[in-house]
Amino acid sequence: MKRFFTNITKYYKYAVYQAKAELKSEIVNSYLNWMWWFLDPICYMLIYTFIVEIVFRTTEPYFPVFVFLGLTAWDLFNRIVMGSVKTVKNNVGIINKVYVPKYVFLFSKSLVFLFKYIISFIITIALMIIFQVPVTLQVLNFPLILICLYTVAFGCGTILLHFGVFVEDLSNITNILFRLLFYFSGIFYNISTRIPKPFATIMLIGNPIAFCINQFRKIFIYGSAPNYIGLLLWFLVGCGLTAIGVKLIHKYESSYAKVV
Amino acid sequence: MKNSVNAIEVKNLHIKYRGLKKMSIKQSIAKFKFNRVEVFEALKGISFNVEKGKIVGIIGKNGSGKSTLLRAVAGIFAPDEGKIDLKGNSVSLMSIGAGFQNKLTGFENIILSGLLLGFSEEEIRKRIPEIIEFSELGDFIYKPVRTYSSGMYSKLAFSITAILETDIMLIDEVLSVGDIHFKEKSGKKMQEIIKDENKTVLIVSHSMSTIKDLCDEVIWINDGLLMERGDTKTVTKHYEEYMKGLDKK
Repeated sequence: MKRFFTNITKYYKYAVYQAKAELKSEIVNSYLNWMWWFLDPICYMLIYTFIVEIVFRTTEPYFPVFVFLGLTAWDLFNRIVMGSVKTVKNNVGIINKVYVPKYVFLFSKSLVFLFKYIISFIITIALMIIFQVPVTLQVLNFPLILICLYTVAFGCGTILLHFGVFVEDLSNITNILFRLLFYFSGIFYNISTRIPKPFATIMLIGNPIAFCINQFRKIFIYGSAPNYIGLLLWFLVGCGLTAIGVKLIHKYESSYAKVV
Repeated sequence: MKNSVNAIEVKNLHIKYRGLKKMSIKQSIAKFKFNRVEVFEALKGISFNVEKGKIVGIIGKNGSGKSTLLRAVAGIFAPDEGKIDLKGNSVSLMSIGAGFQNKLTGFENIILSGLLLGFSEEEIRKRIPEIIEFSELGDFIYKPVRTYSSGMYSKLAFSITAILETDIMLIDEVLSVGDIHFKEKSGKKMQEIIKDENKTVLIVSHSMSTIKDLCDEVIWINDGLLMERGDTKTVTKHYEEYMKGLDKK
């Protein structure tokens, strides 16, 4: 674990520069591209609002904000973890030239996604103003929830990064699992009102994404305090996953270059 | 008389490619049942030392493990057995198909490569004009690397490693980069590096004239084993005789 932190500090500059360059190239290569950072979540929000409010005729207070909080959190998790499966393959050129701790690539990528998340967060605030959601001091808990979600995503990412090298069709499996996870995370419906009692509680506590999304909604829409103990526990789980993933990578990374 | 300090010490180096083929999930489940692992040994126990400031050529026929050896010294592969000690020297590997990111510009790629080689950003920025000038890319340096021709690509790769000098430089078949003009220039640059007594260089090449021109010593590897090590003239002569012998068969 000590090696992990020395490596992260050593390669921190590289990761940040890489992330910046990548974001910049997205803007340069297409003039509309950075608009997609905004447009993508907004369009999905509109689609789900249409389906849920008009087709299924359920009413959830401040539904667009409700969906938006769920979607953006999901996107952050999904992008970090799904991207990790192919991280090593996408960086073969560098891996064959110089030694780099492989999670540095994941770290750098996660910074890109974190940046995009922050951008979409600005829209959340705009939506809250438009729909006149009452704001309480609870919103200050936002960084805590974000850290928790990020740690869990990064932990899952490091583990999948390792297995993604050796198992070629891993991305097919993760695709299916993530589709399942998407519907089980209550992104466009409210788990606690739509699902019968014992299952709802299990889903809200046992699924880190559903849990984090629920905490976001608590502080932004309902103005109640987040579940601090739950946050701490999931944060610790995230740290544990990261420790396992990093250990795996340290042990096997010297053979990655032989495989890809 | 300078006292000879070793820059690279390689002891009994084994590198194995252990049936680490990529597999699908179905295969990996099947693998638990028949635990049959193919092992291909690319290097079968090689030991040598390289003194600081020496230029050493590595020769051998295709598939004899030369590139594997360089990658192991660069730290990309960990040895399966044996030890590689670089005495704390920094190392860089120059090989065909350098690790650039196609989406990013040449400029950004220079900085990223430099950061990975362990240079600070200020240091790289100081050297960047020199790199751009040496690579002769001009304004292309601000364009994404995917727009480069293969010659431009290799020229940039060579320039980065040649200007951002590390203590140990590993060169894998890239001395014949670019047009005649650039070849001459890179040859000159190599001569300069070679004169510098602090730089240690390992060169892998199939061009005997390059090896004869540049190297102080030559290591001949055959099928993962060290065949001969010695001064350039003798070893290249033996090697050429051996290769001619293969032709006759």
